[in-house]
Amino acid sequence: MKPTRSDQVASFLRCFAVQGSWNYRSLVAGGLANAMLPLLRRIYAGDPVRLRAAVERHLEPFNGHPYLCPMAVTALARLEHDGESPERIDRFRSALRAPLGAVGDELVWATWRPFCLLLSITIFWLWGRPWVAVGVFLLAYNLGHIWLRAWSFRRGWTEGLGVGKDLGDPPWARVVPWITSLNLLLIGSAVVLVSWLVAPDTLGRWGVALALAAAALLGYARPALGERLAAGLVLAAPVLLVLLGA
Amino acid sequence: MSELDLSLGLLAALVACGAALGLDAVSWPQAMISRPIVAATLGGALLGDATSGFLVGAVLELLGLGHTPYGAAVYPETGPAGLLAGAGLAAGGGSGIGPLLVAVASGWAIGWIGAISIRMQRSLNERLLAGGGLAAPAKKLERRHRLAMVLDALRAGTLTAAFALPIMLLVKLADGISTMEGVVAASALLLVGMGLAGGVGAGVMRRRATDPLLLLAGGAIALAMIVTGR
Repeated sequence: MKPTRSDQVASFLRCFAVQGSWNYRSLVAGGLANAMLPLLRRIYAGDPVRLRAAVERHLEPFNGHPYLCPMAVTALARLEHDGESPERIDRFRSALRAPLGAVGDELVWATWRPFCLLLSITIFWLWGRPWVAVGVFLLAYNLGHIWLRAWSFRRGWTEGLGVGKDLGDPPWARVVPWITSLNLLLIGSAVVLVSWLVAPDTLGRWGVALALAAAALLGYARPALGERLAAGLVLAAPVLLVLLGA
Repeated sequence: MSELDLSLGLLAALVACGAALGLDAVSWPQAMISRPIVAATLGGALLGDATSGFLVGAVLELLGLGHTPYGAAVYPETGPAGLLAGAGLAAGGGSGIGPLLVAVASGWAIGWIGAISIRMQRSLNERLLAGGGLAAPAKKLERRHRLAMVLDALRAGTLTAAFALPIMLLVKLADGISTMEGVVAASALLLVGMGLAGGVGAGVMRRRATDPLLLLAGGAIALAMIVTGR
């Protein structure tokens, strides 16, 4: 039977918890199977043997970006609905893993989330209102987040085996390089703005400016060293500060 | 140095927020309320100073840009860590580079302790979903999946409860350091700036020749705005 509208809504809502039982053996598979259940129960209504076989199939290891996993949920459910063979479903499932992870990681973790965070920091510096900055971040980020989940859920069901086209040339492909450029501008300014905001008054503007210019050059040239030094400093700070304070 | 006023109700609110923020990061719903700028602002607001919370959150955010959750990567947990760092700075009076550094240090350390607890949680999840029989009836899978999420929230709440008081006391101890003089402050700032730049340098993909120029241009624009008084 074809899943109803309410089955689809239930499945979509479960996609928000797709990483709820993430583990080192099956990765995101528990969440994937859990999100597919409302659809599978309808597809295999009255046939508990085939339902069980389908759930077991989708409990095999799987991974992908959580916001694009809805595409796997519905595309795999579509294959189950269309009566594809278990072997073909398994092959398709394996083929989906890498692109779902790579496309989602680049779009969300490396581009969209940094953009929204940096925008928020800039807004805070300009207006000094923390809740406005936080609100802008949450609103902007989640507009993109929920759109992406909904888009991937819809495309998975309508395209089925054809989702590879969407992953190969996603609708945001031309926008990402522009946001990446904007991110670099925002990162450069955020480092300066945040350091300025936290800088002690005793240094003066030019002291801060010179220190930051040197820090930014060193840190950018040797990112691993810069991060390790800063982490070491902040972790040693409690001891140092108690000693200096005394 | 003002008194540290932490009632049982406030502690309960912090623990509840810590649990919710911990849950958001991976399990549900990943709306990014667990990011340091949100969590630390919330922590600061609970202790009466959202602005200080945002500041410490912004520093943690930039330091953490190099740690992205690709695949099974290990990265610092941001929700409870940001919450406690923001609350700690607000509780400590929210002024001076000393308390700020200690708050950032605390957030960074708790973030990595949180990462260890997440590894343990994921190993537990492995056992929850192992052993077969999950598909028949499928309700067992649903119950185990929900249980894993409840355990994740409990884990984050416990982490928050364990470190709330120690962090606030530590930040209070650093209050006196706001009087330290220029050279030490400059060194600290240099290293913090270097760390920020290092974190962001590792966090962005340097694929194009123009990337460093864009980064420097952004810094130059901000410096120009600062020097000219915006």
